[in-house]
Amino acid sequence: MNTKKLALLALLVSIVSPVAQAQIKHIEMRVEGMT
Amino acid sequence: MKQHLGRQSGVQTVEVSLLDGKVEVTPKEDGQIDPAQLLKATYDSGVTATEMNMTARGKIVKDSSGSLALQVAPNRSFTLTPNELSKGLEDVADAPKMLTVRGELYKKPAGKQKADPSAPLKLLILEVQKKE
Repeated sequence: MNTKKLALLALLVSIVSPVAQAQIKHIEMRVEGMT
Repeated sequence: MKQHLGRQSGVQTVEVSLLDGKVEVTPKEDGQIDPAQLLKATYDSGVTATEMNMTARGKIVKDSSGSLALQVAPNRSFTLTPNELSKGLEDVADAPKMLTVRGELYKKPAGKQKADPSAPLKLLILEVQKKE
């Protein structure tokens, strides 16, 4: 039973963690009309 | 404008260069930043954005219409504008691979055509910096 739960947890971590590490790192804009 | 953008959710710092007409935004790590909201806030502050580029780390997925998209948060992804670089990413779609890419999210239409900052932002990949 425990092995089954651990395997399920490992599967969930492998699915969720790449998305959790995803992020926008930097945004740059060119603008007109700035004073 | 600096204060206006700095108040948007997920924004850590805003650097404005009057000389170059360049605005650099560093997001917080909370993933709350919304480029479309930033673009709208820029227009709301009376300034016209001509271009918006983004560097992001994410996963290539296929959206509901079958188009490739870069997922940067569980609830945020940007559909890719097809180009040579995006074609090369089809083999990693829905794979557990993380990519760091630099791309163009918005460009003001040439000529007198009116810009629509509320249109959905699509990502034109300019450079794939890292595949993990």
